[in-house]
Amino acid sequence: MELVVAGGPSAREGRSFRKVPTGVGGQMAQSTVASGAPKERGVGLLRNILRRKEAYLLLFPSFALVFIFNYYPAASALFHSVFEWNGANVQRFIGLGNFAAMLKDPTLMGSVVNLIRLALFSLAVNLTFPLLAGALIFHLRDLRLAYIYRVLFVIPLVVPTMVVLGIWKSIYAPHIGLLNALLKVAGLGHIARPWLGDFRLALYAIMFIGFPWVAGMSTLIYLAGFQAIPSELLDAASIDGAGTWKRFWQVEIPLVMSQIKLIVILTVIGAMQNFSTIMVMTNGGPGTVTMVPGLWLYRNAMYYNKMGYACAIGTALFAVTLTLTYLNMRYLRSSVEYTGI
Amino acid sequence: MSKTLKHDLPIHVFLIFAAILTFYPFFFMAMTSFKATPDFQHNFWGLPQWIQLSNYSDAWMRIRGYVVNSLVVSTTSAAGVLCIGSISAFVFARFHFPGREVLFLMLLALLMIPGILTLVPAFLLVKNLGLMNTYGALILPYIAGGQIFAIFIMRSFFASLPEELFESARIDGAHTFHLYSKICLPLSKPILVTIAIMNILSTWNDYIWPLVTIADGRLWTVSVGIVSFGSQYMGTESWGPMYAGYVLASLPLIVLFIFTMRYFIAGLTSGAIKA
Repeated sequence: MELVVAGGPSAREGRSFRKVPTGVGGQMAQSTVASGAPKERGVGLLRNILRRKEAYLLLFPSFALVFIFNYYPAASALFHSVFEWNGANVQRFIGLGNFAAMLKDPTLMGSVVNLIRLALFSLAVNLTFPLLAGALIFHLRDLRLAYIYRVLFVIPLVVPTMVVLGIWKSIYAPHIGLLNALLKVAGLGHIARPWLGDFRLALYAIMFIGFPWVAGMSTLIYLAGFQAIPSELLDAASIDGAGTWKRFWQVEIPLVMSQIKLIVILTVIGAMQNFSTIMVMTNGGPGTVTMVPGLWLYRNAMYYNKMGYACAIGTALFAVTLTLTYLNMRYLRSSVEYTGI
Repeated sequence: MSKTLKHDLPIHVFLIFAAILTFYPFFFMAMTSFKATPDFQHNFWGLPQWIQLSNYSDAWMRIRGYVVNSLVVSTTSAAGVLCIGSISAFVFARFHFPGREVLFLMLLALLMIPGILTLVPAFLLVKNLGLMNTYGALILPYIAGGQIFAIFIMRSFFASLPEELFESARIDGAHTFHLYSKICLPLSKPILVTIAIMNILSTWNDYIWPLVTIADGRLWTVSVGIVSFGSQYMGTESWGPMYAGYVLASLPLIVLFIFTMRYFIAGLTSGAIKA
């Protein structure tokens, strides 16, 4: 929430700076832009840059770092996506050859199907369980207990991801795993199996990690959204005779659409990018039934030395992520504006 | 029964059920971490028959290096992000100079570039710079990447500080550095803490980058080390030491959480808007 608020004033401010003549704000007394004849303007700008050199010097460390570690690798990835490249001596231009090869790569195509399944499942989960948990915590009348629940559902976030995955590995473990032990207790021992090693079920086992999905970022984001709803609005709905259920669907949900939109973006980006979970849990196996594009990119680069091909996969993932983010921003409704009501 | 409790009761039932499902695996981990192997084999679900503290000393011997490495890497990176990021944010917020908006957008645009795109060239870069198997391979890219979002947040915060404060200090003859260190930073403590925590959390959890840049097991961070550590026990039935290792690997972040809970929750909620 903080950021939405924080983004607002700075954007507004950015606009107002352009309108206000440069001499007005804070430090500016000495650096008024020369507004004389056009040929003087260039000189004035240069003089202005020189005069403000302190600013550029202070920004230098930040920009040096991002140019070396962010801009250069990104440009290099896009550039090398049209090369056959082993990262060292072999570098041959092959146009769209890598992209054509991607379409004919059965492992990659299988991994794309897995990615779509994982992303859709993750979306379905993130739009229901945490939303419900957030709404329930919001509806508690006892605010002290509501705070306690909130803290409680944050704690799992500070357990290192790899420890959480280690615990899930022990839940799915073949012989003494928690899930199998539980099934035996329940008299269902015959369906016990090595879950992560099962060709049909491994992907579902991965999807189920994190069950019941209420502790985490999404719950916090929804809760923050609900808490930002002005209470007059909720009171008004109640006075108008809206029951809890009706109020939830017709007042609260439209007012947290921005949060829902955010969760959709975060979930999609997360699904596209995250392959460490798969890597640690199954490493794409058994066979390649749980392969995802990110892991396949990693393997092509690190095991097979096909750096160009890996860059092409990265470029494709980048393009798809950008497109989906754009579509989401463009077509998913934001929160209903309540200021005008 | 009070009216509040009557209204809340069905909600409590649901939330407590969800909390039990969420926390049982963690509880099982903590409980089993104190069990000796035979106790674990014959008494899978029950509480430990006796407390096997040697699980912890065994696990600690094996993972303490990873914890130390992570502490060094994560705190140095967070300090770097705060240092470099706050200076840039200060410049963007309180200076006026040609190209300010363009430069700022150049930083902001990087938020759209996914790590997966830059992974391979960044790996080759670090290799060519001779940084492989050094802390620098982690710290430098962590500062470079971490500062972007930090600058974005800090800039709006610094810009919202009242201009009069700076103006009066300037009249008193204060130098730029003085404005930054004596006015800007002290007023921004909560946001600085939030950014530090978010950074520590994300670098502590990073797995792929240390995996590709650090081959020397002695320099592994907790994320990489604990996976390797856990996999050595997975096939065996001595889960006590394994879980003890997991608990020890989690403790630093949990301690951090206890001391900074307020900032943590605010930070996580605002940090989510990264995309």
